[in-house]
Amino acid sequence: MPDELAVTAPRAERVVARDAADVAGFVRDARDTGAAVRLAGRGTWLEAGGRVAAARHLDLSSLTGITEYVPGDLTLTARAGTTLAEIADATAAHGQWLPLDPFGDARGTLGATLATASAGPLGASVGLPRDVAVGVSFVSGDGEVIQGGGRVVKNVAGFDLVRLTIGAWGTLGAIVEATVRLRARPEADETFCVTVPPERDAIATLLANVRNAALEPLAAELLSPACAAGLGLGHRPVLLVRLAGNATGVHHQRSTLSKLATTAPAPSDTWSRLAQSDPVAGLVARVSRRPSELVRLWTTAISLGDVDAHATLARGIVRLRLPAPPAHDLFGTFDAADHWIIERAPLSWTARPGRMAPASDDLSRRIRLAFDSTGILNPGILDL
Amino acid sequence: MSPLATQLADIVGSRYVLTRPAETFVYTADGLPGYRRQPTLVVMPGTRDEVVGVVRLLAAHKVAFVPRGAGTGLSGGALADGAVLLALHRLRRILAIDPENRLAVVEPGVVNASLSRATASHGLHYAPDPSSQAACTIGGNVAENAGGPHCLKYGVTMNHILAVTAVLPDGSVATLGSADGEAPGYDLAGTFTGSEGCFGVALDVTVRLTRNPEAVRTLLADFTSIDDAARAVSAIVATGIVPAALEMMDQPTIRAVEASIYAAGYPVDAAAVLLIEVDGLAAGVEPDVALVDALCRQHGARTVRIARDDAERARLWQGRKKAFGAMGRIAPHLVVQDAVVPRTKLPHVMATIGAIAARHHVTVCNVFHAGDGNLHPNIAYNADDAAESARVHAAMREIMTLCVEVGGSVTGEHGIGLDKLDYMPLIFPEASLAAMCRLREVFDPERRANPGKVVPIRSCREWAGVPATRVARA
Ligand SMILES: Cc1cc2nc3c(=O)[nH]c(=O)nc-3n(C[C@H](O)[C@H](O)[C@H](O)COP(=O)(O)OP(=O)(O)OC[C@H]3O[C@@H](n4cnc5c(N)ncnc54)[C@H](O)[C@@H]3O)c2cc1C
Repeated sequence: MPDELAVTAPRAERVVARDAADVAGFVRDARDTGAAVRLAGRGTWLEAGGRVAAARHLDLSSLTGITEYVPGDLTLTARAGTTLAEIADATAAHGQWLPLDPFGDARGTLGATLATASAGPLGASVGLPRDVAVGVSFVSGDGEVIQGGGRVVKNVAGFDLVRLTIGAWGTLGAIVEATVRLRARPEADETFCVTVPPERDAIATLLANVRNAALEPLAAELLSPACAAGLGLGHRPVLLVRLAGNATGVHHQRSTLSKLATTAPAPSDTWSRLAQSDPVAGLVARVSRRPSELVRLWTTAISLGDVDAHATLARGIVRLRLPAPPAHDLFGTFDAADHWIIERAPLSWTARPGRMAPASDDLSRRIRLAFDSTGILNPGILDL
Repeated sequence: MSPLATQLADIVGSRYVLTRPAETFVYTADGLPGYRRQPTLVVMPGTRDEVVGVVRLLAAHKVAFVPRGAGTGLSGGALADGAVLLALHRLRRILAIDPENRLAVVEPGVVNASLSRATASHGLHYAPDPSSQAACTIGGNVAENAGGPHCLKYGVTMNHILAVTAVLPDGSVATLGSADGEAPGYDLAGTFTGSEGCFGVALDVTVRLTRNPEAVRTLLADFTSIDDAARAVSAIVATGIVPAALEMMDQPTIRAVEASIYAAGYPVDAAAVLLIEVDGLAAGVEPDVALVDALCRQHGARTVRIARDDAERARLWQGRKKAFGAMGRIAPHLVVQDAVVPRTKLPHVMATIGAIAARHHVTVCNVFHAGDGNLHPNIAYNADDAAESARVHAAMREIMTLCVEVGGSVTGEHGIGLDKLDYMPLIFPEASLAAMCRLREVFDPERRANPGKVVPIRSCREWAGVPATRVARA
């Protein structure tokens, strides 16, 4: 969205970083002159989070390349601007994969995916950035190159700077390199479309049955009729279930699933099409509570009309994809205690709820200053 | 009683403040053999409010303190040197079990294994299973980011912590993370996990519960060479099967176990055994078991035994889980290490450890989480023999340097504590250590919570750089 980008950083001075030293030099210079810095990967999602007012724009998308990949270790180290697609290609050659499937296209960068802690349907099982990352290098707001974690899959040495930077939206530092754990591709990996009844109680029963059955889905995502229609699955509510493992196990899980409801194979590209079908303008927002509240969230969401919505069952998240923010008070329709994360919204829309849990505010603010003492990195992106 | 002790007694009751050396003696050591430290006193609050009251009082007096769970830690994290020891074992209530959301809220002193027992009737368990799980506490597990054999498949403590309520060293109470919807902002629950008591005291912890597997199969594969066993591990990991556990024990360990009351029937003439567990849905388990069995044989396993029933399975695990204890019987002292290496480096590292041990005339017992490359090279020795001690410590330093050189870490699950401070600069540059110090200062500006642990940096100016005097175990 180049036009949004222009709005976000008007007349910003732009620099493309080639390596970590470039990033460090740029950040130090910005700090010394008191200039705020907008960090960007490929710049496909700059309108996420709070509005950033920054005179300088640091493009990290040229920090590319896989720096270490020993397939037998099932870990991979890459520079932050490496796209998930590049990683997918490199790992597929060895029958492996990186289970990160954030929404958007696969040209999103590793650095941005980790910085924003973005997860897709695989977040229900193996795909949460906090669980996948084992090491990061980042340039703090004071221009120092800091390393957290390492390259091995198990590591408790020192305080955990990895978990700290993941989901910090660049406010503690610019991630320049990261090490992630990979998985070997399972023998079988199949996705099924399960027919969902329309009534609330019947939905609740189906979801409970799926949850309690002898199933270990890699992903289970509920789609509203509009969402399913957009994927060519018919204008009807659908439960997408992804089953993986050895062929025997997947076969049995499939028959278990078909005993619960009508089940049909779904095209293998369904997940990537779901990820790539976000509206280019409008409102994308996630609302969440504990998983037992999911049916309530879901019912409220689909009562908004024929909306495009999908829900990650195990995480209790409903994701709304609206062509424009609704005229009425969206948040008021839900419970006041529900958590909202606004992924994408028109800049004109002022109804965003705060991002941070209030109890942690003071701690978070002080952590921010410990890594970025003058607060120049992505100011405003989080409510700090 | 000192004025501080009297005021603490006002909060927790005088029975729960220990000041006399005879009473505090058991609290002068933790699971790390060979170290003793004398706390100024031990205070044992019984409720959350009492913990908060104690921490506030200590803040008012600017007194340093060390939280302690069961004291099974293997890096000296719960040793208090001239500080107040804050023992949390009395806070052992399970506050809530929510089977529908698969989570539980527990006090920090809840013993790891008792949580899984309490949730068993719901078909759920708490997955991280340190070998010390019969004694160690969830608070200690969170502080160390503890692992365990089954963490290969299920993840370590961090992966199972949803939220923590903590009292910070200044006495304020903070909620970190959320179990009730996505928590935006920094991952403070993740950051607190593994903070080794330096960021405050966990008052309650919300943990994820895991469904009990429908089927479990336990295999014991025995090898005539460590190298073969290490190669079998790499081969299994590369297939895509994620065994629930994949553990290795070498011959010195097997012999120590078989000579102890925990004898598990391991073949004493084997160079190494692999203890492998495959679990999951019943239908999917058998093909994986067959593949693991075949891979072990292809890599030279003499026999692969599959436990026929729960009793045999329990016996195979008992030997593994009690291996440290069994080693403790063969000599008065034990150095326990916890390095991690990239998995493809296992054959090289195991061979080199063997060579280092031979050169220094020490016996290394290796018992470890092979599936994730987390080694526990242990050396049993007599610390009263100065020459032997010197050889043991020289060998260990070489082993740790080796593990770092191949791209590894100095601790996978036991933490840095006091014991591994020396090794931190091997893996982190100065700027990273300084950043860790700054993070600690956010939580504890006065550096009163577990001072002198974890980060040995000069800029922290809190660690003299001298490992404390070793004293013989009583
Ligand atoms: C035989 C044996 C086998 C072991 N096997 C394993 C294993 O397989 N995997 C593994 O990871 N570890 C293992 N350990 C190490 C140890 O059991 C773990 O580190 C465990 O997590 C420590 O728990 P604890 O309650 O004993 O903590 P303690 O030893 O009492 O304390 C450990 C650290 O936690 C801090 N702490 C304790 N409670 C709190 C709290 N409420 N809030 C804040 N900080 C707190 C302390 O200050 C200290 O720094 C083993 C130990 C033994 C003796």
